Amino acid sequence: MKTLILMFAAAALCTSIAAAKGDPVTSDQFVLLPVKSDPTVSFRIWFQAGSQDDPKGKEGLAYITAQMVTDGATRKNSYEQVLEKLYPLAASYNAAVNVEMTVISGRTHKDNLKEYYALLTDALLEPAFLQADLDRIKSDILNSLENQLRYSSDEELGKAVLYGEIFRGTSYAHLTNGTIDAVKGITLDDVRSFYQSHYARNRVTIGLGGGYDQKLISDLKRDLGRFPAATDQTPGAPVPQPINGINVAMVEKDAPATAISFGFPINLVRGSKEWYALAIANSWLGEHRNSSSHLYQVIREKRGLNYGDYSYIEHYPGGGFRMLPPQNACRRQQIFEVWIRPVPNETRHFALRAAVREVKGLIANGLTQEEFDLTRKFLKKYVLNYAPTTMERLGYALDDKFYGIKGSHLEIYRSMMDKLTLNDVNAAVKKHLQTDNMRIAVITKDAASFRDALVGDLPSPISYKTPKPQEVLDEDKVIGTFPLKVPAERITIVPVTELFNK
Amino acid sequence: MKPLVMIGLFAIAVLTATAGPKPFFPYKYTRHVLPNGLTAYLIPMETPGLVAYYSVVRTGSRDEVEAGKSGFAHFFEHMMFRGTKKYPADVYDNLITSIGAKANAYTTDDLTAYHLNFAKEDLAQVIELESDRFQNLFYEEREFQTEAGAVYGEYRKSITSPWSVLNEKVQDLAYDVHTYKHTTIGFEADIKAMPDQFEYSKTFFKRFYRPENVVLLIAGDVDVKKTVKLLDEKYGPWAKGYTAPAVVPEPPQTAERTAEVSYPGKTLPILDIAYKGDAFDPSNKEYVAAMLLGDLAFGETSAIYKKLVVNEQRVQRLDSSIPMNRDLPLFEISAMIKKADDITGVRDEIYAALETFKNTPIDARRLSDLKKRNKYGFLMGLNTPDRVAGGMARFAALTGGIETVDQLYAAMEAVTPQDIMRAAGKYFAPERRTVVVLKGAQQ
Repeated sequence: MKTLILMFAAAALCTSIAAAKGDPVTSDQFVLLPVKSDPTVSFRIWFQAGSQDDPKGKEGLAYITAQMVTDGATRKNSYEQVLEKLYPLAASYNAAVNVEMTVISGRTHKDNLKEYYALLTDALLEPAFLQADLDRIKSDILNSLENQLRYSSDEELGKAVLYGEIFRGTSYAHLTNGTIDAVKGITLDDVRSFYQSHYARNRVTIGLGGGYDQKLISDLKRDLGRFPAATDQTPGAPVPQPINGINVAMVEKDAPATAISFGFPINLVRGSKEWYALAIANSWLGEHRNSSSHLYQVIREKRGLNYGDYSYIEHYPGGGFRMLPPQNACRRQQIFEVWIRPVPNETRHFALRAAVREVKGLIANGLTQEEFDLTRKFLKKYVLNYAPTTMERLGYALDDKFYGIKGSHLEIYRSMMDKLTLNDVNAAVKKHLQTDNMRIAVITKDAASFRDALVGDLPSPISYKTPKPQEVLDEDKVIGTFPLKVPAERITIVPVTELFNK
Repeated sequence: MKPLVMIGLFAIAVLTATAGPKPFFPYKYTRHVLPNGLTAYLIPMETPGLVAYYSVVRTGSRDEVEAGKSGFAHFFEHMMFRGTKKYPADVYDNLITSIGAKANAYTTDDLTAYHLNFAKEDLAQVIELESDRFQNLFYEEREFQTEAGAVYGEYRKSITSPWSVLNEKVQDLAYDVHTYKHTTIGFEADIKAMPDQFEYSKTFFKRFYRPENVVLLIAGDVDVKKTVKLLDEKYGPWAKGYTAPAVVPEPPQTAERTAEVSYPGKTLPILDIAYKGDAFDPSNKEYVAAMLLGDLAFGETSAIYKKLVVNEQRVQRLDSSIPMNRDLPLFEISAMIKKADDITGVRDEIYAALETFKNTPIDARRLSDLKKRNKYGFLMGLNTPDRVAGGMARFAALTGGIETVDQLYAAMEAVTPQDIMRAAGKYFAPERRTVVVLKGAQQ
């Protein structure tokens, strides 16, 4: 009998599913997390499809197809009827589409499982793919690309530009929800074709958690076994163009404050010892939305320049509204990334220098024993907050499968905090971090003068409206003349209206 | 579809069919009140060793009654992280970091909440730190001034959203004298002037951060007896002295108000129609009916949503809000409209929908579907200590406790189609409304 990959918070449980001959969906396609005391049932249906699978000129297709499945009519029910039937159950199902994964997830109270399951499987297996639904979904995306991202979220815009630059020419380059021209051109035939080639029984992993019974497993095997099989055409991992020196992509926008992101590819994914070692250094440098972040201390805490400054070794979508990392945003190719939230325009050069200088300092000096001990002590318990619910633990379990991790990333993470040494961490920093070859994304007004300042490596003094301690003022002088010379040919400026069109 | 956001607003549960009032809230809790008036709710629940600790101060931007001082409740929330003599800011931060706590705070119109999530073995440490900073907060002028910079940074970040620009205008226009006139982050001019308000900030602490004005919500893996003992010991010395601010009540609105506001970037036009509502009160039948009316009239299964969003696709999104407030809030309907020349048309559709609800009783099945939805939504939302304590925060701020959840449940279960008609007629009258249209300058 085949054993299943199970995740369980307190203890490991072993159950097996009888593998009948010729089962179209096999036992090893299940990731199970039974929790008897949970009155709800959580589903995460993972299809091996993402924006990396978008055909050229059809960027956004993976995303649109997923939306058509979850937010459209089925053969049985119009979209309104779907909403009406879900309404009293207080349940929904939603698609999270990233570069490598599409995960359709939802949760229902046990009392309503029968009705919910019928609606969920109907959506997955019998989408109607109606023109009216496609029009509505496309309109939503175009509003997001044309208006919201370009105009009302400069920090998300900065990150999007950075990823676009680092992954230019690869399957990771475009935004998940596409480009304006491509989205406009996507048709129902495109959607049907993508659905048939990617929503396949041999490309699905079924995550199930909470208070479910065995019958649900056999129901899922039977029902999702109705998907056709498809050949695997997943593209190889992207190979980002090598970065030569410091390259700056500026976006000219009439903005009152400047958003900055910078980074470079790293060859490290979770599961390896080095990843956990680098995670400690990264947490010290820029733990997401935590005042323990060193970058936060330098730029916000001491100088009051902005709302926060953080760093990452894994892609972290939605950072502005999340406090903790998302699940199911896995990538085979990650980057090291620094996020500087909008600073007053006149301090942009100073803030950039301050951040780069801190990264450089970390590489040169490593962490001290004290910093190491505090950070690993922090992470060991902080990680407990990452997945307090069944649904979140189930998400991590799927991610474990993606990354080929035997066991649980979260449990390994915590145990590594006891096993790693200061040397491990500083060695990982020296091996994976550097500041000579990076891409920088800047969203700002009057970009040309910033370009000139970088080209000339001009000093960027800073002044404050309120007094600062002498040590800060002394350090300001060093920051203000920190060498960060960039040749003119490595700086581009585009107007914001040109972004995301193609 | 829109992901469900359960904020613990609606509460319905049928546990067992026994006689007498049924408690709706599904966990057994203990209420403990100290002699100085500090109230604590301890809510044990199953969890993998986590505790959520919320300190709810019943003060928000509503309490900013002095001219030129808008935004101070929020600014003060920032200052609460600046340390005490016993635990200066960096020591506090280090301790919070070393226990791996997830810690933050937020400010709204009626409350300020300080929340931590941590491992159960660190509860004593958290009580030590929280009791200290609420009693002995200490900061110098320089740190105060630096933090003002961060607050201005937060303002700059948030004003890039058209919704922030819109809300500023709607509130300012709808209210003449009540402090709901300004948004929680405050007027830009007041934020700019903050660095010079060091002395004022200290009076804020003295008047409002007092035990009678605070409710603690502690949920998760907690030992009630031991925790109560610690609370008595650590918060006991905290001196009373809450001074209620003189919030001027808003006089009734007698005529419709309208305005247009411009957003410096690109956005689809947004229409906001705000009606003067009623303060939170489970015994106010029309108010409770209005809470249900919002979803029935404008939710995803409403006639107007199907028409404007799904079928005719004239509207990008449609939202309504019937909030819970200490004083008279705005009951709002907002629509992001695809074409500027359709604003009037959409507006009239909204008015027509409201007329229908005034004159035609809702289908009984739809009403019972909503009640079922609220039941399961609430139950499913109470699955972590943070959601339990966090979900109860607003109830605690408005009423000083969480017992009101059971009252609200009973009241909602009793709402009839006639109640809904009366609520529609009462609140959604033209003379009570303020209508603002926001347009992008760069279309």
